[in-house]
Amino acid sequence: MKMQFDIAGGDFSAAGGASSEVKKTLKQLNIPPATIRRIAVALYEAEVNVVAHAYSGVMSVEISPTNIWVQIADKGPGIPNIDKAMEEGFSTASDHVRQMGFGAGMGLPNIKKNTDSMELKSVPGEGTTLEITVNFN
Amino acid sequence: MTTPQYIHAIQIDTEICIGCSHCMRVCSTQAIRIVDGHASISPERCVDCGECYRVCPMEAIYVKDDRLAKGSKDYIYKIALVPAVFFGQFPVKYSVTQISDAIRELGFNEVFEVEQAVDFIKSEYKRIAKDKDIVRPVISSFCPSVVRLIQVMFPSLTENILQLKPPHDIAAIYLREINSTTNIRPEEIGIYYFTPCAAKIVAAKAPEGEDESPIDVVVSMRELYNKVYKLLIENKSDKDDLKRRSSMTSDSIKWSLSGTEREYFRGRSLAIDGVENVIQFLEILESGRISDIDFLELRVCDQGCAGGIVCPGNRFLAVERIGERQKRLQERLKENKKVLNPLMEYAKELQKVSKVKEITPRKGLLLDENVEIALQKMAKIKTLNSYLPGFDCGACGAPTCKNLAEDIVKGNASMSYCIFVQRIMEKNYKLSPEQAFLTIEKIWGKNRLNKYKDNYGEKEVE
Ligand code: SF4
Ligand code: SF4
Repeated sequence: MKMQFDIAGGDFSAAGGASSEVKKTLKQLNIPPATIRRIAVALYEAEVNVVAHAYSGVMSVEISPTNIWVQIADKGPGIPNIDKAMEEGFSTASDHVRQMGFGAGMGLPNIKKNTDSMELKSVPGEGTTLEITVNFN
Repeated sequence: MTTPQYIHAIQIDTEICIGCSHCMRVCSTQAIRIVDGHASISPERCVDCGECYRVCPMEAIYVKDDRLAKGSKDYIYKIALVPAVFFGQFPVKYSVTQISDAIRELGFNEVFEVEQAVDFIKSEYKRIAKDKDIVRPVISSFCPSVVRLIQVMFPSLTENILQLKPPHDIAAIYLREINSTTNIRPEEIGIYYFTPCAAKIVAAKAPEGEDESPIDVVVSMRELYNKVYKLLIENKSDKDDLKRRSSMTSDSIKWSLSGTEREYFRGRSLAIDGVENVIQFLEILESGRISDIDFLELRVCDQGCAGGIVCPGNRFLAVERIGERQKRLQERLKENKKVLNPLMEYAKELQKVSKVKEITPRKGLLLDENVEIALQKMAKIKTLNSYLPGFDCGACGAPTCKNLAEDIVKGNASMSYCIFVQRIMEKNYKLSPEQAFLTIEKIWGKNRLNKYKDNYGEKEVE
């Protein structure tokens, strides 16, 4: 099962739409509720990252009987120092973004916590690609 | 797939139902289809919210309750368990004492207000809010329709539902306890609960997380209302409300409305009423977008239980009257200084039996138990859906095109149910006009198309 969603940078009112669709799909499969929750949290964080930091992005999803693989590729400023970005509480979000309740720096570490594998690649000035996998059992 | 038996109080009388599909369009869980000219409810999906009941123009949807006369021979001691919203149905010129007396006149030995048990719930909330390990936000278990909505639509949130019995159960357990010392045998005590809604009937008949309910008979408030009103008009009974001193904190009587319960759970809390509002919020909660809320008070009815489907009066008037009563109670309590709630003397005993088992998800959304098969079905649904027009016109007997695609894959419908697909199939000689006609009759009922004679437009249609 494959799905694809466009994510618009800066559109906070629409943030969460893609992850919500994925979650709806997963509920029709017999997947443990706690796993669905982990996936929902990870995808939402990833989606908000794109909205908060990038110009645009695409979320590609592939669901197999045993796991879900998701790639979130964005066009944007990229992440110059990935290790630093993985630290809890670190955020480059602007004050404006923070005031809206986003970008508290919980994003990447929270994604890692909720997934079974996570890979992050970034080219400063071009964009960031995040790949995550969550196993169903 | 093994299907557990789900009990429901919302029923359709197929003798009266004309299959107009009003109900199908408002059901938030998409539980309704039109089959053979009548609405039909899927037991796996229905949450007894009663939205369908509200819109049925034929009054074909009814709430299956017990009748007031039930058990009148079996019980020697009959107790009426009455929620505060019932008193709010009457103009304030009728006092609670008068209304209670009228209920007694109908053959009850005792009248007990459900909200008397709220002081116990408040004390539990105090304790539970301190528990650091509990999954947050804690979701109130008060509205049984909310509990079922979560089980059906938001399976990953079932662990957030508070494992605590609702006030009517606590009140009933208490009543059994205090009457156990009398010489009436337990089976001779009949506890009658008067409900504002269908969901509470289901909760009393088949409580989630409980093995059995302490309530014997559940009667819709409407039946009691009519009988009591008649007596109130005939009677010139004692108006002295002071005679029976109330023994609960005054805001307890607003517990079933929206906004009071949340104040008793320490931390950040929200009160949300109305089924669409509740669904919208649970949706964002389940998507992981909200993380720092401690408590959610949710009611599927607008204005909480004052908006219950079998509350006979206007919900806003009821809310205002309950507010008035609270003021009076408050003044009276000021004179008495201290609130002595006799139920609280049993708090320790009640605490031992107040917990319910963990609430587990229902299978209403599942395509198949096997993930692989479910994925195959999902792919088929996606393909079929791409052939459907996406108008959600409802002429196929399903609320949305997507629902039709699901029904086809489940083997309950076929592509030719869609009237747009039918046109194409007829054009390509895949379906004869006769077959198309029969398909429509299968959904909308035999003879449904009879009034359109061949010569329509030429002669008056009979
Ligand atoms: S009671 Fe609610 S959930 Fe059940 S069929 Fe009616 S509208 Fe749907
Ligand atoms: S809000 Fe109250 S009246 Fe409405 S369904 Fe829930 S418990 Fe029943």
